[in-house]
Amino acid sequence: MENLYIPARERSPEVDFRYQENHLALRGEAFPEDAAAFFGPILKELAAHCEAVRGQELLVEFQLEYFNTSSAKALMNMIQLLEASARGGTRVVLRWAFQKDDEVMREFGEDFATELEHVDFQLVPV
Amino acid sequence: MLAADHYRMKLENKQRGIIFSFNGFISEGILFALGKALKRKLSVDEVNAGTMKRVFSVFVEQAQNIIRYSAETLVKDDLVDSRISSGLITVGREDGRFYVGCGNVMHRVDARPLQDRLEKLRGLDAAGIKAFYLERIRDTVESTSMGASLGLIEIARRASEPIQYDFLEIDDMTTFYCMKVFI
Repeated sequence: MENLYIPARERSPEVDFRYQENHLALRGEAFPEDAAAFFGPILKELAAHCEAVRGQELLVEFQLEYFNTSSAKALMNMIQLLEASARGGTRVVLRWAFQKDDEVMREFGEDFATELEHVDFQLVPV
Repeated sequence: MLAADHYRMKLENKQRGIIFSFNGFISEGILFALGKALKRKLSVDEVNAGTMKRVFSVFVEQAQNIIRYSAETLVKDDLVDSRISSGLITVGREDGRFYVGCGNVMHRVDARPLQDRLEKLRGLDAAGIKAFYLERIRDTVESTSMGASLGLIEIARRASEPIQYDFLEIDDMTTFYCMKVFI
């Protein structure tokens, strides 16, 4: 699969999906005007990549400063995809990075972690 | 006279601790611009990052609720980003605490279900609100709803006390609704 790179914009995060390296990252703020339009294609690619790397290693990095509830749903969708993938035998590491004094983002990380049983979840203060 | 009227308005807002108050048609573009100005103002005032984030989050969810659910809305060619909707939104500070307030006209039939959701949230403590958020985000990922119920829970989560709200029946078809949220 071609790598996917979308630069950060004022309302949407940087998407840096390096499929060849099995390293996917999402960084910045997320409150796009139309969350479904922004995240829909990304989710589709993520699902296809999860299928393609079955049994391999996959490192996913989220470093978000803010996201609205529409984006939170899309993130939850991604996290559920990753969990399903890990359950199917892929070794998935999800690194949730947050500013060390940002309790809101830390708590969101903990929230999402409750969904994960097979993914290696790492909460990383930066 | 013109200046006196406007100056009185400005002074009244200042006395009530209002940082800004918007009344009229709001679009996603206006939401973004107001949000940016709000962040800048709070950052100049050296408001701590956590409080700033909470104020900003409540502001975004309230503004998006107006855009999506106000009964006074105009949308061109069914395009989400062309939608403009009428409402009011205020950010201010009272006794050292920030608040975000909003109001808009809604269809009367939707008022009761909204009131039920707000009452349910008022009855929950912080742990209950958090659990409810997780339950809703799990269940609604597949739904076609634009997310208002989760938005309300997010607002309640960022508030330091139960959400204050009120309804005013305007006529058979419409109700004015407002809320005030202390951070």
